[in-house]
Amino acid sequence: MQSRRLYIPVILGTTRMGCMSNHAARVVADELSKRPGIETNLIDIGTLPLPTNDAGEATKHPDFSAHMERADALVVVSPEYNHGYPGLLKHVLDSCLKEYIHKAVGIVGVSAGPFGGTRVIQNLLPVMRELGLVTIFWDVNFSSVQKAFDQQGSLVDGSYIRRIDKFLQELIWMARTLRHGREQVPLN
Amino acid sequence: MNSRVQGGKPMTCPRCGAEMNHHADKTLYFTEADETRSVDLATSAFVEEIHACPKCGASASRTISN
Repeated sequence: MQSRRLYIPVILGTTRMGCMSNHAARVVADELSKRPGIETNLIDIGTLPLPTNDAGEATKHPDFSAHMERADALVVVSPEYNHGYPGLLKHVLDSCLKEYIHKAVGIVGVSAGPFGGTRVIQNLLPVMRELGLVTIFWDVNFSSVQKAFDQQGSLVDGSYIRRIDKFLQELIWMARTLRHGREQVPLN
Repeated sequence: MNSRVQGGKPMTCPRCGAEMNHHADKTLYFTEADETRSVDLATSAFVEEIHACPKCGASASRTISN
C-alpha cells in the first residue's frame, strides 16, 4: 500500500459571479476530504492572475503549475455554456502540459437544463486526452442545478452524494494505479 | 519540471536524488521560446521525456536529442 497521500485538487472552471458550479465544486471537495489518504484543495480559476494576451505555457502561473505537478488526479467542475466549456477554463488548463501526463481526471458537468453538462463533458474529453490526462468513465452531472442547492448553497438532493461517491471511487482507483505506473513501470 | 538536459541516462530526482522512472514521451510543438531545443524540422516538434520519482513522487522532464 502506498504511504504517501494522494493529492486530488478540484478545479472550479468558471469565473462567473454567483455561479452554481461553485456549490457543486465545494460538495465534491468536501466528499473528497472525508476520505482517508486523500488531500484536496479547491482551485478557483477566478483567483489565478493569468494573462490573457498570450496562451499556452507562456501564461503558466507558478502556484497553479505546482498544484498540477503535485496532483495525482484532478476533478474539473465545468458549467456548460452554449454546449461548450468556459473559455477561461481552457485558457487555464492550457497553461500547463507536462504536469498532467499520466494523471487521472474526472469531470463534473453543471447545467441549468436537464442534461447535466453532458455536452461540455464530451467536449472536454479530447482536450484532456491531448493534455496527457487519463479520463475516467464515471462523471457527475448536476442537471437543473438551480434546484439541486438551496439559497445557502446546501445540497438539497441527497442522491448526488451516492453518485459522487461512485465517481470518486473510480477516480481514486485510477489515481493510485497511474501513480504506480508513473513511478514504477518504465516506458521501455 | 524544467530540466533542459539531454541524454539517455537515468534521470536523478531533483528533490531526493533517487533514480527516476521514465514513464512517458510527449511531443511538444516548436515556439519561439523553444529555439534552443532540438527540433524535428519536419514536424516543428520535439519530444520531451517525462520522469517520476518512485521515492518522493517528484516529476521532471528533459528533451530527447534528435
